[in-house]
Amino acid sequence: MRKSWIPVVILWLAYSVLIIWATAQFTWFPKEWAEEAAVVDEAMLLLQYLSAPVMGLVLAVMTWSVIGWRTEGGAHREDGPPQRTNRVVVTSWLVITSALAIYVVINPGFIGLAEIRGEPSSDYVIELQAQQFFWEVTYPNGATALDELVIPSEARVRYDILSIDVLHSFWIPAFRIKIDAIPGITTTAFATAEADGTFEDDVNLRVQCAELCGAGHANMAMPIRVVSDAEWNEYIETLADNE
Amino acid sequence: MKYVIRASVLAFAGYVAGIWLTVAVRGGSPTDEVAVVIGYILALTGWLAGIGGIEAFGRQWIGKSSEVSTDRGWRRYFEFSVDHKVIGIQYGVTLIGVLLIGGISAMIMRIELAAPGSGFVDLDDFNKIVSMHGILMVAVAVAGIIGAFGNYIIPIQIGAQDMAFPRLNAIGYWLIPPVAVALLLSPLLGAFNAGWTSYAPLSVTNESGQILFNMAIVTFGMSSILGGINVITTVITMRAPGMTWGRLPIFTWAGLATSVLSFAVTQFFAAAVILVTMDRVAGTSFFQPEVGSALLYEHIFWFYSHPAVYIMVLPGFGVILEIVTTFARKPLFAYKAVVASIFTIVGLSVVVWAHHMFTSGMANFLHGPFMILTEAISIPTGVIFLGILGTLWQGRLWFRTPLVIAFGWLFNFTIGGITGIFLADVATDIHLHDTYFVVAHFHYTIVGGSIFALLAASFYWFPKITGRMYNETAGKIFGIWVTVAFNFTFIPLFWAGMNGMNRRIGDYPDAFAGANKFASVSALILGASFLLYIGNLVYSAIWGPKVGPNPWNARTLEWLIPSPPPQHNFTSQPVVIGHPYAYGVKGSVHAHFPDAESPDDPGDGRGSDEEGVLV
Ligand code: HEM
Ligand SMILES: [Cu+2]
Ligand SMILES: [Cu+2]
Repeated sequence: MRKSWIPVVILWLAYSVLIIWATAQFTWFPKEWAEEAAVVDEAMLLLQYLSAPVMGLVLAVMTWSVIGWRTEGGAHREDGPPQRTNRVVVTSWLVITSALAIYVVINPGFIGLAEIRGEPSSDYVIELQAQQFFWEVTYPNGATALDELVIPSEARVRYDILSIDVLHSFWIPAFRIKIDAIPGITTTAFATAEADGTFEDDVNLRVQCAELCGAGHANMAMPIRVVSDAEWNEYIETLADNE
Repeated sequence: MKYVIRASVLAFAGYVAGIWLTVAVRGGSPTDEVAVVIGYILALTGWLAGIGGIEAFGRQWIGKSSEVSTDRGWRRYFEFSVDHKVIGIQYGVTLIGVLLIGGISAMIMRIELAAPGSGFVDLDDFNKIVSMHGILMVAVAVAGIIGAFGNYIIPIQIGAQDMAFPRLNAIGYWLIPPVAVALLLSPLLGAFNAGWTSYAPLSVTNESGQILFNMAIVTFGMSSILGGINVITTVITMRAPGMTWGRLPIFTWAGLATSVLSFAVTQFFAAAVILVTMDRVAGTSFFQPEVGSALLYEHIFWFYSHPAVYIMVLPGFGVILEIVTTFARKPLFAYKAVVASIFTIVGLSVVVWAHHMFTSGMANFLHGPFMILTEAISIPTGVIFLGILGTLWQGRLWFRTPLVIAFGWLFNFTIGGITGIFLADVATDIHLHDTYFVVAHFHYTIVGGSIFALLAASFYWFPKITGRMYNETAGKIFGIWVTVAFNFTFIPLFWAGMNGMNRRIGDYPDAFAGANKFASVSALILGASFLLYIGNLVYSAIWGPKVGPNPWNARTLEWLIPSPPPQHNFTSQPVVIGHPYAYGVKGSVHAHFPDAESPDDPGDGRGSDEEGVLV
């Protein structure tokens, strides 16, 4: 009984290694189509690794509770050892959990925040106006579209998001960016698409409304097509000419 | 029953009178929202007067003495009883009923989501069902443990005969049925489709069912606030001699902390929906973009609703800590640090609300501070885990149903807490916000942390409340079944959220079909487990074997009096002389009854067999 820390520590290590191994085995995230996506996925992966020892410790104590500390018998069994508290344990616990919390606040917290916000500069500005239940795109040359969003790759684009009725939210899962559309306020998001592709290649190449906005909310999505800079300029020109 | 009928008649009359008056004064149609509001207010007044307000309060206003129900037997559960034990059972049974209705709505949603496409219910109906489901379940989580067991157990644990304000306590309970009725009747006015969060401006422009939602929230809020004042006053002023703060049982501590929170913040949700109501019926424009602010609602709402998650889960901490010490036969590890942590959480919980708004477009400089404060909460939460794990350490663990469910709780809440970090981190939350990841996270914390504790508590205190023992085998099977099915239901949803599935949708891209089918099948299995739960408790309450005062050989005061407790709890004054959790300390006693003629039961479990059943 006295040596219970040995099996618990072994279990703890075993569970932690197992969780870390499982984390490394699978692809947890959808394909990254923008620079910002890599930042988010990296932050998430780091948090997954940091979670392993926490989950592992709880699992270890739970497992050893069942294997090592279970007793049968009813209400007349003996009591356990009357350990009330232990200053060293409590203090070290506090120090370790605080250190972990501070670490997480810094990385991926502030570091990720800085990376994902990036410079507020951009090569192009595309405006999206939300309304129940569709998006209207306005390109830099004034051309507008309702059926798809075409984006130049390798260019940093600023998205200006507006709403004319209720709250909506501009989300591109493939880029991992999201910002709400608020009537009366223009919000912004930045993303740099990395590769050419279309909604047919990946469902996550879509603008999805992510804030409940009424009956048509579930289907308030718009396909995205990422093309080269030149193709994109050509596309918005023809769009403007056709108007 | 006659009071319930009288109250229903008066409520109906009040509603009709309110509608009639409004139409007479201003014209318009009886379904105009102003008319509904006035009708609701008069209906609520009629209901409270009819259920017993006339006797309990009205008589005093004309100089007579007040009267309250003194019935024994089943009738008292349908009357304006001021006995905290009756009120506890009223809360418990009502909220388990609401839990089942909320559960049925969950089953409907999971059937719709079993495959992509929309067929079983249409998209707008889905939004209405998800909104109804959300608010019903939130109500259960907010009031379940504290309403049922807070009422029943806290006064006994501190050695009091009742709550400090018994009549307010009864009002608090009788405000709950109107909440359920208003919500469930809202489909008559088109239901509400803005989610339980009811963000403006959608909640200003949607169908009139939203008005009933708003009224229900205000009513429920009054109930929470009255309950909060009552517990705070009771714990501060009515402790038995010797019940110092250092000897207060942990469930009472948790109930006190919860009550401080619900007393302090509930009015913010009420304020938010009252402003929405004003925008709808009085032509104000709090949330209109040009003159008001569409973001304002979110701030007021989360100022209540983040602390509310601790209103839901702190009583859960109390229950689990209580169960773990009892079944580990060990003192509560780091008791003082745990109590300090509970109150640290109370403090921090009111300064983190904007972590729900990282993508809302609020000012950028706010993100850092709210991230720091949110992650700071993980430190006191960690100390509570230390209390649980340290108490289990080298214990003599007796795996009865309450402990089995407590283990399910521990597993679930660990996952809930860890995934909370992902959401507190701005970089990751920007992607995860408003996806199924959030849905999975808060089910792990609320179902895993609050509802599992409610289930564990209902087994733990069942013998005390009914005087009978539940069926152990069926209880254990239920405990394992519910834990496994719950995890199978929600684990795949983390994946769906990370991979691009947003929340509150009745239809989704085909890519998420697999995870959703798996979750739907598991959800039906999860739902089915509740048949075993209800069956076990109902059967055992009637036919279960009788138990003595203390089947678990526990030490807190509720276990030193007969099961079920006598009308005024204690036949002689308890005096507290030691720590409640000094398990394993030779000769230590928590409390005794110096004036008792013949001490009924010394509280050592004598008089019952190994399984705690009376011999
Ligand atoms: C370890 C502690 C926790 C942390 C760090 C945490 C963090 C968060 C964050 C940052 C969000 C917002 C996510 C988003 O919408 O993008 C969130 C959502 C939520 N959390 Fe937690 N949480 C914790 C524990 C809890 C607990 C104990 C409960 C309830 C008992 C809870 C219930 C909820 C609910 C209901 C939501 C979603 C609200 C909604 O959007 O409808 N959380 N949590
Ligand atoms: Cu939407
Ligand atoms: Cu929160």
